[in-house]
Amino acid sequence: MMRGNPLLLKEFRQRMRTRRAPLVIMGYFISMALLTFLLLYENVQGQLTLLLPARGEQVFVTLGLLQMAVVVFLTPAFAAGAVSGERERRTLSVLLTTPLSPFTILMGKVLSSSALLLLLVVVTLPLYSLVFLFGAAVPQELVGVFGFQLLTIVLVAAMSVCWSTLALRSGWSTVLSYATVTWMVLITGLFGYGLQYAATRFPIDYFLLNWGQFLLRLNPLWIEAGLAGAVPGHFARDSLWFLGFYGSITVILWVLSSGRLRPQSYAFSARFRHGDEKDFE
Amino acid sequence: MIQTQNLTKKYGRTVAVNRLNLTVRQGTVFGLIGENGAGKTTTLSMLATLTVPTFGRAFVNGFEVCKHPHDVRMSIGYMPDAFGVYDDLTVTEYLYFYAECYGIKGALARRRSVDLLEWVNLQNQRKTYVNALSRGMQQRLELARCLMHDPQVLILDEPASGLDPRSRIELRRVLRRLRELGKTMIISSHILNELSEVSDEIGMMRGGELSAVAAVDALLDQTGAYRRLWIQAAAEPESWHRVLANVPQVLEYALRPQGVEMVFSGLEEEQAELLKRLIQSGIAVTHFGEQPTDIESLFLRLTERGVLPHDAG
Repeated sequence: MMRGNPLLLKEFRQRMRTRRAPLVIMGYFISMALLTFLLLYENVQGQLTLLLPARGEQVFVTLGLLQMAVVVFLTPAFAAGAVSGERERRTLSVLLTTPLSPFTILMGKVLSSSALLLLLVVVTLPLYSLVFLFGAAVPQELVGVFGFQLLTIVLVAAMSVCWSTLALRSGWSTVLSYATVTWMVLITGLFGYGLQYAATRFPIDYFLLNWGQFLLRLNPLWIEAGLAGAVPGHFARDSLWFLGFYGSITVILWVLSSGRLRPQSYAFSARFRHGDEKDFE
Repeated sequence: MIQTQNLTKKYGRTVAVNRLNLTVRQGTVFGLIGENGAGKTTTLSMLATLTVPTFGRAFVNGFEVCKHPHDVRMSIGYMPDAFGVYDDLTVTEYLYFYAECYGIKGALARRRSVDLLEWVNLQNQRKTYVNALSRGMQQRLELARCLMHDPQVLILDEPASGLDPRSRIELRRVLRRLRELGKTMIISSHILNELSEVSDEIGMMRGGELSAVAAVDALLDQTGAYRRLWIQAAAEPESWHRVLANVPQVLEYALRPQGVEMVFSGLEEEQAELLKRLIQSGIAVTHFGEQPTDIESLFLRLTERGVLPHDAG
């Protein structure tokens, strides 16, 4: 892919050459490792003769949810200035006079800004393998949790890059990106859970239950918890619904962003292209 | 070549470029001058496919900018007035990146970058980070970047802005060499003197319109004939008027506290004759001399008087 997208190679060079990248990866790994050992120690209560898989599962779920929350909130920090930053550094106009398509530019930005986050997820695999040794999770759960994390990172990065293209300024794109993540994690979580709780108090009110379920299906932490086996439900189907919903939003933002990058693409009518002098006058 | 037909760009109620008709012949250099806000950058931005015209057409290298933007992009090298560079990339990596954007890879990209860096005198900075280069060096690197895909047309927006005198001279040298290579170029500036050395034709933009176009050779031919004179002498205004009103070579003059400033259309012999007449009429001249010709005001004067072709629009 890098051979086909020069922007991706350039972004990797720039991002990975700084000291920030290894420091972020090392700091994240050390924090997660400490937390894992702390959780494991707390779960086995200092003795290693009797291992309880149920307690190990708690560790697996906690780690998964924490990692999801961290990477979802970190992604906009790397992606929200992807295109607006180019505009502010005054490199965008030259980039736009090259024959690179808007798809190539946006894809290069999405993959390069999510690459570090993907790396963060991958470096924690050995920690999950420790939990795995305790018999706390089956391989399908591990694959599901990791796959969902990776897809969520790419989705959040794509939406942030699109906001960055549409908002013109990095400040605004950061606000919009974090508003998106806040909706995904906090608003859907709080309102979804609240409505479901209210539905237990008023069992005949399907409206509350349906809306509660609808909102929770849009929450990455809820889906993640389901995929890790912490809450009952049809989470393979729910994760598809989640990806479909945010995927559709991403497609809409992507089309608008492409138009922002290449306004010629949207000059459909001949009148717009060649103009009508009478209209102008 | 570059051609525009009634090219217009409107932002709300503001008309940035108004019915621009411009032709830049193949292999020639067209200098576009005008004050800030005259519409130069918008014009170049439309030619570079960055801005969609409100109406009218523009053709670059035979491709219409709205219909075939991809072909236009393959044909042009564009240098914006205010450009930035990517941090954490070396000079060579910077050029490779843009080469790859145009599908140029491997040995060809390497050869071009070596040749171009030598050409813009940056061969010793190959491994230097781009953000560590001086402004003048970055400007020359940008020119090399524009040339990586060997475009037919170069669109340069204020290439000399923000440069020190030494860098300006170096840039002019590079532009002259590009002209010798037969590249079609359109260069904007708000300083005419800067363009007259490298351009074949000069066009002046005012309020979004092309107000005048002139060939540089014709303009320079006139600089000898139109001179600015400064005569220092203590005399009554009537004395000045009596003499100067009867000298046909004096095109215009302005009285100053210590003398008179004038535009004189004549040769050295006629200047000597003027000095003789001033002395004969009792004006005690303490200084009589020529001032450097302001090519910009000359350009305006000549086009307004119809001395030079005024074929804009």
